[in-house]
Amino acid sequence: MEQGVAGPQSLPRKNAVLRALKGLSPKAWVGLCIVLFAVFVACAAPWLAPHKPDAQDLLNMLLPPMWSANGNPDFPLGTDGLGQCILSRAIYGTRVAIVVAVSAATGAMLLGVVMAMLAGYFGGWVDRIIGYVVDLWMSFPPVVLSLVLMVGLGTGVVNGILAIVLVDWTRFCRVVRSDVIVVRRRQYVAAARLLGFGHWKTMWREILPAVGPLIITLFTLEMGVAVIVEAILSFVGFSVSAGTVAWGVMIADSRDYLHEAPWGMLTPVFCIFLLVLGCNALGDGLRESLDPALREREKEQG
Amino acid sequence: MIRFEHVSLSARRASGQVDLLRDISFEVPQGRILGLVGESGAGKSMVGRLIAGLLPEGFRITQGRIFLGDTELTSMPPAQRAAMLGRQLVFIPQEPLTALNPLMTIGESFAEQLEIIGMARSRRQAEILRRLEEMELPRPGEILQRYPHQLSGGQCQRVLIAMAFAAEPALIVADEPTTALDVVTQANVMRILARQQKANGASIILITHDLVMASHVCDEMVVLYAGEVVESGDARTILAQPLHPYTQSLSGSTPKLAGDVKRLPTLEGFMPGLGDLAAIAGCRFQARCGIGDARCGQRRIELRQMEGGRAVRCLKVGVSLGDTAEPVAADTHGRGEQSAGRADTPLLSVRNLSLTYRSSGGLFSWGSRANKALDEVSFEVYRGECVGIVGESGSGKSSIARSIVGMHGECEGAIEVDGISVIGARGEALEQLRRTAQIIFQDPHSALNPRRSVFRLLTQGFEALPGKARHDMAAQLEGKVAQLMDDIRLPPSMLGRYPSEMSGGQKQRVNIGRGVFLAPKLLVADEIVSGLDMSVQAQILNLLKELAGRYGIAVVLISHDLAVVRYLCQRVVVMYEGRAVEQGPVDEVFLRPRHDYTRRLLAAVPSGDPGKPWPVAV
Repeated sequence: MEQGVAGPQSLPRKNAVLRALKGLSPKAWVGLCIVLFAVFVACAAPWLAPHKPDAQDLLNMLLPPMWSANGNPDFPLGTDGLGQCILSRAIYGTRVAIVVAVSAATGAMLLGVVMAMLAGYFGGWVDRIIGYVVDLWMSFPPVVLSLVLMVGLGTGVVNGILAIVLVDWTRFCRVVRSDVIVVRRRQYVAAARLLGFGHWKTMWREILPAVGPLIITLFTLEMGVAVIVEAILSFVGFSVSAGTVAWGVMIADSRDYLHEAPWGMLTPVFCIFLLVLGCNALGDGLRESLDPALREREKEQG
Repeated sequence: MIRFEHVSLSARRASGQVDLLRDISFEVPQGRILGLVGESGAGKSMVGRLIAGLLPEGFRITQGRIFLGDTELTSMPPAQRAAMLGRQLVFIPQEPLTALNPLMTIGESFAEQLEIIGMARSRRQAEILRRLEEMELPRPGEILQRYPHQLSGGQCQRVLIAMAFAAEPALIVADEPTTALDVVTQANVMRILARQQKANGASIILITHDLVMASHVCDEMVVLYAGEVVESGDARTILAQPLHPYTQSLSGSTPKLAGDVKRLPTLEGFMPGLGDLAAIAGCRFQARCGIGDARCGQRRIELRQMEGGRAVRCLKVGVSLGDTAEPVAADTHGRGEQSAGRADTPLLSVRNLSLTYRSSGGLFSWGSRANKALDEVSFEVYRGECVGIVGESGSGKSSIARSIVGMHGECEGAIEVDGISVIGARGEALEQLRRTAQIIFQDPHSALNPRRSVFRLLTQGFEALPGKARHDMAAQLEGKVAQLMDDIRLPPSMLGRYPSEMSGGQKQRVNIGRGVFLAPKLLVADEIVSGLDMSVQAQILNLLKELAGRYGIAVVLISHDLAVVRYLCQRVVVMYEGRAVEQGPVDEVFLRPRHDYTRRLLAAVPSGDPGKPWPVAV
C-alpha cells in the first residue's frame, strides 16, 4: 500500500535532508564534530585508552603531564592519587557522559513532548492540569529536586538518568506546548481535521513535523544540561557505582590533591566544558539553520 | 505635480543588472487622480517606494528623473527627502489597522501627525474633530478615545485619509487603499477620498489592481506590466476601449454584473519575474499574448503615442483579441433551469440556523456578553447546484460555511447534508460527513501545510481514510492523482513541489484539488478568489465551474464579490447582520432586488460601463 506513496514523495524528502545538512551553519558543524568525536571516543575507549581505567600504578602517583619536567610518556596526562592514568579515565568517562546525555535527553524529550502535545492540542482542562503540574514542578529548585529524587530512588546511573528526566521534562513541555498551540491554530490543521484526520493523525502528521526543528534543538541543548547534571550527581556520589569512571567522580577524587596536582581536576573539567560546548553549539546552530530556512521559504511566497 | 521622466529602476542580480522598472514616464497635474494599475509583480508598489525614496537594498535608479513640482527628487539629499514625507508627500497604506500605532488612541495618533506638520497645540483638538467629521465618521468625539483595534477597517482607513489630508500635501500616494475593505465600505471610502481631493486640490496616485474601480475614480490611468507602462491615457477611455492586448485580457477576465454571462477568457502562464526579465529581448507580454508574431520578440517595443493623449506599447494596435468567448450554455450548469430537479430532496438544508458567540466578561463581572453571528438562517442547496452567499464582512457568511462542515458544534437549528445531521455528528456519521462535504479555505497559503509536497497535499484525503478503504484505493492512487493534476491544470512535474515554490494561483488549485479528491457531493468555497489577481481569479473560477459541472458537485460559494457570484451561481443568499435578508435566483435578485441592503450592495459595485457614475453614496 505504501509503495504507491513512496515514489514521488521520497525524492524531495531526501533532497530536503541533504539541503538541511548543506545549510548548516559553521557553528552547527563545529558542535556536530565535537559531539560525534565524543561518541566515537566513547565507543572506541578500550582501543584509545593507553591503560585500563582502574589500573593502579602505585609507583607513579600524582605524575604531571608528559610535557612537564618529571612527566612520563606512559601517562600522557599524568596520574591521580592512586596512580591511575588520567587520560584513560577521561576517555572511559566519556562513556557515562554520552550514555547519560543521550538517554536522559531522550527521556525528557519523550515525556515533555507527549505532555506538550496533549496540552497544546486539546487545550481546555487537559492544558490546565498539565500546566499546573509543570508550574508546581518548576517551583522546586532543580538541583534540590534531583537530589531529593536520588535519595528516594537510590544511587546508580539509571536512577541518575531518571532523576534528570523527571526534572527536565518540564523544559520541553513548556517550550514545545507554546509552539504546538501556534501550529494548532493554523488553518492547515483545521483543513486536515475537516478532511477526516483523527486527533492522533493530525498530531502525528501535521503538528509534529512543524515543531520538529524545535524539538531537535531542545534535544541537543538538553544533552549538554544532562552532562552537567550527571557530573554534579556523580561528584556528590549519587550517580555511578564505586567502580565506574565518570568525570564527576574524577573531579571529586582530585579535590584532595588540588594544590599538588591540578591537572587531575583540569582534565575532566575541560572534557565537560568541551562536550557541553559542542552540544550547545549544535543546538544553537540547528535552531538558526533548521528553522529560518523553513521560515524563509514560507515567507518568500507571501 | 509629480512627473516621472523615463525612470528605470535596476536590481543587481547574479546575472547582471535587471531592470525592474523600465522607462516609466507619466505626469500627474495639480488636482488630478492618476491610477496605477497592474497585477502583483508588475512593479506598481515599487513606484510608490520610488516616490518616497525608500528603496530596498540593492535597488537603484539607473536612468531618468522624478520631479515634484519644480524640485527634482532624484538628486535631493536623503535627509531632505525624508523631511518631505508626511508634509508635501503623504502615503495611505493598504492595511489601515497595521498602519496605526496600536498603543495610541486615534486622537493621540492624529495629534502626533498634526505636531509633525507644526500645528499649535491649542488648535489641534478642533482641527481633528473637523477633519473626522468631514470623513462622515459617526460621533468623532468618541472615536478619538478609541484604539485602532476597536474600529472597523473602513473607519481606520477614513481616519488615515483624514490624517493624510490634514497635512495639506501636494501629493498623496494611496497604495491599494480599499483592497482589504468590503464593497460598500470601498464605495464610501473612495467617494470620500475623491471629494476631499476635489476640496483640497491635492494630486493623488492611486495604486490598485482593480481596473474597473480605477477607471471610475481616476482621471488618467497607467497600466503596468512586468515593470513597463503598456498603456496610458484617459481612464474611462481605457476601460471602454482597451488597446493593449494585456489591458484587453485584464478587462475581459473581470466578471461583470451586467450583460450575458460568458466564459471568462483567461491569460495562460505568468507575468515574468525579476529573474526572467533579462532573457526577454522584445515585448515582455509576448509569451502570453494571443496576437503577437515574430516581430514582437526581436527588440524593445517603444511606447506609441495615439490620438486623444493615449499611448500603447504594442506593435499590433488595432488588432482586437476578438470576442471568442461563447455564452455559458444554459444546460451545462443549471442556469435557467432552477425549477427543474426540485422534486428531489435538497442535498443541503439549513433550517433556522443560529449561532451565538459568548465572551465571558472577565473574573469580576457577572454573566457574559452574547454576540449573535447567525440569526435564524434557512436555505437549501440542491444536487449539482451552485449557491452564492454574499454580504459584507461580519455578516455571518463565513460562520455559515464553517457550520455546514461541522466546525461550529455550538450552533442551534438544523443542518442536514445528504441525510446526515451535521450538528452533533460523531463517529460514523462524522466520517460520512467528511467525505460528503468539503470546505476550501480562502487563503491557500495558510490552508496548505508548508511541509507537504503537492502529492502529499492532494492525497491527504486518502491518508484520512480508515485502513480498509485506504487499502482498496491504494492501487488506483497514482492514476487518481494524475487525473486530478490534469483536472486542476497543473503539470505532473509539480507533484514534488512544496507550497513555498508555487504561485498563489497554483496553490489555490492544489487547495481545490485536495477538496475534490474524495469526490464530495458538496463543496463549500469560502472567498477562494479574494486574494488573487484578476487573471488568476478568472482561471480559478473557470476551474471551479468546470470541476463542479464535470463531477456534479454542488457548491456553496461564499463571496463578497457579487460579479463572481453572478458568474458561478444559479441562486444567491444575501446576508446582513447574521440574517438572510433575501434569497432567490441570481438574475432575479440582482435585477430586481427587494431588500434595501441588496440594493445598496449592488450600487456599491463599480460598473463595467465607464459611463455609469461611481462611487455614489450607499
